Amino acid sequence: MAYYWLFILPSVLAVSIIILIPLLLGIGTSLTNSDGYEATFVGLGNYIDLLKDRQFLNSLWFTLRFSFVAVILVNAIGLGLALLVTQKLGKFSTLFRTIFFMPNLIGGIILGFIWQFIFVRAFEGIASATGFSFFSAWLSDSTTGFWGMIIVFLWQMSGYIMIIYISFLANIPKELIEAGYMDGASNWRAFWSIKFPMLAPAFTISLFLTLANAFKIYDVNLALTNGAPYGSTEMVAMNIYNTAFYQYQQGYAQSKAIVFLLLIAAISLTQIMITRRKEVDL
Amino acid sequence: MKIRSSILWLSLLTVPTLLAGCGTGGSESSSAPTDSDSGVEGGVVTIDFFNQKPEITAQLEELAAMYEEQSDGNTEVTITTVGSGEGSAALQARFSSGEEPAMMMLGGLPEVERYSDSLLDVTDLEVSDTIIDGMLEGGTIDDVPLGVPLNIEGFGWMYNREIFEEAGIDPEAIKSYDDFAEAVDTLESQKEALGLEAVFGFSGGENYIVNQFSANFTSPEFNDSIIESYEATELDWTYGDQMKKYTDLFNEHNVQPILTVDYSRSVEEMFVNDKVAMVHQGIWIVPTLNDIDPAFAKEKLGLLPVYGENDTEGKIIAGAPFYVGINKNLDEAVVEESKNFLDWMYLSDEGREMIVGDLAFVPAQEGYEPSDIKDPVSSELYQALLDGETGAMTHKQYPDGWFQQVLYPEYQKYLTGEQSWEDFENNTAEAFKEMR
Repeated sequence: MAYYWLFILPSVLAVSIIILIPLLLGIGTSLTNSDGYEATFVGLGNYIDLLKDRQFLNSLWFTLRFSFVAVILVNAIGLGLALLVTQKLGKFSTLFRTIFFMPNLIGGIILGFIWQFIFVRAFEGIASATGFSFFSAWLSDSTTGFWGMIIVFLWQMSGYIMIIYISFLANIPKELIEAGYMDGASNWRAFWSIKFPMLAPAFTISLFLTLANAFKIYDVNLALTNGAPYGSTEMVAMNIYNTAFYQYQQGYAQSKAIVFLLLIAAISLTQIMITRRKEVDL
Repeated sequence: MKIRSSILWLSLLTVPTLLAGCGTGGSESSSAPTDSDSGVEGGVVTIDFFNQKPEITAQLEELAAMYEEQSDGNTEVTITTVGSGEGSAALQARFSSGEEPAMMMLGGLPEVERYSDSLLDVTDLEVSDTIIDGMLEGGTIDDVPLGVPLNIEGFGWMYNREIFEEAGIDPEAIKSYDDFAEAVDTLESQKEALGLEAVFGFSGGENYIVNQFSANFTSPEFNDSIIESYEATELDWTYGDQMKKYTDLFNEHNVQPILTVDYSRSVEEMFVNDKVAMVHQGIWIVPTLNDIDPAFAKEKLGLLPVYGENDTEGKIIAGAPFYVGINKNLDEAVVEESKNFLDWMYLSDEGREMIVGDLAFVPAQEGYEPSDIKDPVSSELYQALLDGETGAMTHKQYPDGWFQQVLYPEYQKYLTGEQSWEDFENNTAEAFKEMR
């Protein structure tokens, strides 16, 4: 028993120092009007102000919409890619897997700047060359700002999620699928009735990962739009950062962070509970 | 299905691990190693200088080396640089973590005030006596000057002389807003012949450009006084109509979509390559212009004032964007040596040479000849400043975060026609009151 505690001590220490203690300090700070330098206790004042903060509510709404669309699309595309590269492609299979995964290796900041160039300059070039107004003025209104963020996120995350689906697809027993074909199932039917239910644990993980990532995204947001136009693409993480470091209202920013934490935790836990229930045990 | 839960747990666990990685990485790169912190060790006094202007890091380091040399190794000056808008946050992190710098650059009165308990009264410094009249104001809290202006910068409509000449416009003859608008029309009518993409290259995608532009119209409201604008609890947009007039003018003749025009496109691509005739910018772009085209600043660059108060009285906004403050709460030897370093930097021959030489500053001190300053626009600015013909940098005194979170987005909404000018004025004024 003594060994047990000895062995988990490093992890407990790391988690306490990095997560638990800052979290408790953070809760404390959120009850003050701290500017990072001086602080007085204000009770729940910050939390009450939050409900009236239009920009914060806008950010929250934007983040929710973004996460909803992003999670569905990332998983659809990731699963689609996984199904494609697990076909019999020979050597190309590995090549495609590598290519699809690569965007994930590029940091969000660089990715944001690359795509900003594509949206603002390359798209504008296409627009003036072809006359399609669809390509003009990207990122300069809230709609294209929203979809710009989605596109970059898809490009970054789909390959990563693909890898998870691939590993689960490879683990589906061949007999099951063969048995299905013997009973006269089409490819379509085999996918929906055999592979799809067997993938349920993959959905649990992938949905959790994309959901968490979509909610806390900051780097791509900063590099791609920095909240522009007119603050309409400012996601919650950025709103919190700006409150803390531009307005120096660190207590207030901290209260936003706590609310954000509770929200993400609630949504993620609900998601895990629901998707777990769908999992089948063999 | 054991594997599934372990992957889930593993992925959960990677989150803190990644965070931990970022944490240590960040603190290692941003904070100086312990032996370079300010203090006294073995008779050597170490001064840590917190710099918020990355573009002058090399010159500051050279100055530091020169000073170390003439102190016979008794003093060590280290420069820590964090810039690009993150400087204030990094400085605050230094203070709250207890690694206070001995000397620091502070941008504007709100920042000076935040550290006022730690800042030394600079009245006794020799350099303070040489500062141009009124220029200490931007570092003064409760009548006590807490910082020395680093240098002077100014901004307005920067224009391309060559293009103006080709279009047959004499910039010297622009004496009023109407003259200015007429010049814009002339340029617009010859746009194709001049090879222009548009007349203006205003960066509607940069919050600080919008902020600077606003100073043209808030400076007269606050009587061209930094203190008055800092103490103001309300912003009435007394000269808002003038601002609207200018906004409508350049928005009509600007490269579109205006919201995606960023600094680098505006200056480094279009302005320097004669694709736009005017940008709203300041003299800090001169080194960049020199890098791209050494002749541009000397031969083509001009600075037109903005008629912010009324149609006939044009002003360039000028002032010190940064003040250098000294931390009085450190070891006495460090404080003394910091004072000496600051005096030396501005008053010694080597220092002065550096100021107008490699640093290419417009000095905030009297006693330079306008002709000492290399590029013509900076020299003009110095002259205007000595003559007291400039507006004040009121945009540095707005409430914390107001320009990023309110002014800029609200202004963008007007630029794209999302809201009326009246709404712009009301929304920004309301938030100004709230955030002050």
